[in-house]
Amino acid sequence: MRHTLFPLTGLLLLLSLACLLPAGAQAAAVDELEATDSGAPTAIMMLPGGDKKAAGSMKPVVFNHLIHERKIEDCTVCHHTGDPQKCSDCHTLKGSEEGKYITLERAMHATNIAPRTDGPTPQSCVSCHEQQLKRRECAGCHSIAKPARDDRWCGVCHSVTSSMSAQQLQQAASGTLPDDERDELAARTVLEKRYATPLRPELLPSRIRLDSLSDKFGPNYFNHRRHVASLMRRIQDDKLAAAFHKDPASLCTACHHNSPASATPPSCASCHAARIDPANPGTPTLKAAYHLQCMGCHDGMKVARPLKTSCASCHKPRTEEGQ
Amino acid sequence: MNRRKFLALLGTAGVGGALATPGMAAAKAHVFPGYEDSYGVLHDVTRCIGCRQCEEACNAVNSLPQPKTAFDDLDVLGVRRRTSAYEWTVVNQYTIDDKPYFRKLQCFHCNEPACASACFAKCFTKNPDGSVTYNGDQCVGCRYCMIACPFYIPGFQYDEPFDPLVQKCTFCKPRLDKGQLPGCVEACPMDALTFGRRSDLIRLARRRIEENPGRYTDYIYGEWDAGGTAWMVLAPASKETAGKSDVGAAGATDVMHAIGLDTHLGTQPMGELTYGALGTVPLIVAFWPILFGGLYGISKSREARNEMRNKIMRAAVRQDMAAAMDDAVRRIEQQQGPEAAEVARQALEDAVEERRQAALDASRFARKEDH
Repeated sequence: MRHTLFPLTGLLLLLSLACLLPAGAQAAAVDELEATDSGAPTAIMMLPGGDKKAAGSMKPVVFNHLIHERKIEDCTVCHHTGDPQKCSDCHTLKGSEEGKYITLERAMHATNIAPRTDGPTPQSCVSCHEQQLKRRECAGCHSIAKPARDDRWCGVCHSVTSSMSAQQLQQAASGTLPDDERDELAARTVLEKRYATPLRPELLPSRIRLDSLSDKFGPNYFNHRRHVASLMRRIQDDKLAAAFHKDPASLCTACHHNSPASATPPSCASCHAARIDPANPGTPTLKAAYHLQCMGCHDGMKVARPLKTSCASCHKPRTEEGQ
Repeated sequence: MNRRKFLALLGTAGVGGALATPGMAAAKAHVFPGYEDSYGVLHDVTRCIGCRQCEEACNAVNSLPQPKTAFDDLDVLGVRRRTSAYEWTVVNQYTIDDKPYFRKLQCFHCNEPACASACFAKCFTKNPDGSVTYNGDQCVGCRYCMIACPFYIPGFQYDEPFDPLVQKCTFCKPRLDKGQLPGCVEACPMDALTFGRRSDLIRLARRRIEENPGRYTDYIYGEWDAGGTAWMVLAPASKETAGKSDVGAAGATDVMHAIGLDTHLGTQPMGELTYGALGTVPLIVAFWPILFGGLYGISKSREARNEMRNKIMRAAVRQDMAAAMDDAVRRIEQQQGPEAAEVARQALEDAVEERRQAALDASRFARKEDH
């Protein structure tokens, strides 16, 4: 196999590889990384393309083996054959018999993987990450906000250090990038990874008066800051969330969806009208938009109270307002 | 019955059959494409929270009598309720894979309503806006519509001693005419009821199924069921249907049964099943008496004519015979004198009488033989 997805047949191989390299060529960035317990390289550059033309090829993915192996107990979650070999040994670009004709692309991205009766059910990158979104602290936002699967979505993983030159990218795509350069670039990508600092809840609006619809009930006072702070507290030490919430305002986009991440996003009423829009009957009305967001998130996070049908928990009846 | 009558009847049946066939053929070929741009409502069961706001709004906008239990009493959701003359919509609780779901029940406003096809007083109208409305002016209270409805929707005012009427959801037609949404749709806090053009709603439902894999059973109830309905239902996925695409009526049966919907109604409008038979009823009522009466008249007059002709012929024969006898007797009188003539007349009369008697006996004997 030309490109090295997982150059491990044990620590021995790595050591022998290091011995083979000229002493001066051993890159600095690789040494800076914390070593893994398994002996696998900490940063591995996965190369999507393999054709000589290298046209239209995706950017490589730099896989941080260290943080992934620390999260799981059993290597067979990914190495489902039980042998810590490279994914691309069996899952080739075009599919092969030993890979059951599951291409490399599918092995990395497939969802809804059918359970296997003979041995562990394999996971792809995407299917495993989708399962992570079902964790209680994630499920609230992620049950109401589903990021569009566009170029930005791909770019979260398919990204490399900016110091990787166009020529190196071309070499990587055509499989001619020297191994030492590849390891160096992978390590540099991991080292350069910067996590966004989320917005501080204190800077956000505290209590918001939602009253444009109040009719039967009085205005609703939504404790905006308390909700944001609670969500942030749950994921403050979560590496996964930190890695994927790339913008300081990423968390805002769960409720303030369909607009770019911003500290001052548009309000719900700027898109959701009080009356149904005949041209877009699928767009919820303002009343439904509020309820779908609130209840959708509470459902996802398994917030049992207040009951969905207990209107007075959130809305004070109009009469009590003295109006 | 003699041969001619039998043949006449057979001919009638043949004519009747020939007349009935084009009518039935026309009924079979009958396809009502539905009103273009008619409205509908999509009920998303996964969004419904069972708050009964729709029931309350329906009661208010239609000025229906106050129910025994208040609308904020949610215990009634556990009881499987049906629509009645005074509750035009009800929400019931159902269970799929141990998870509670709520479904609203009201008139589905069929593209081709069975109630309308069953009503001989023409009380029901399918309007171009999609609603099926009822006008009780001509209602005779037969309640055929209640039997015909595949969703058991119309209710009858059993408590009304004078002029009881059938009552059901009107799609808030008076409100639609004013440009307002149906009461229940406006009241729904979750947009579990989406109002729109029926064609838009089908597209919307497909998009929701596509964009939320694993959330819905991939089947739009009412798109084709009972020939298509204006109100459609999007059901949640069960363990069996999750992740499967386009499960069809058979694949969706279990889920739909779980939320109280029948998938065996077929894709043919209910009325189409009866148009063939019912279409010939006016034909039979209008034509058969005339046809049979006419044929009876024709054969009766023919018999009368024959009888007359026979009578005339018999009279002629008798006159001929009398004339011949007189002639013979006159000639005998001229040649052999009056006494011989008298004897001859007596002999001739006796002979004629004897022949007549013999013929009568023969006919009597023949009649006996017949029996």
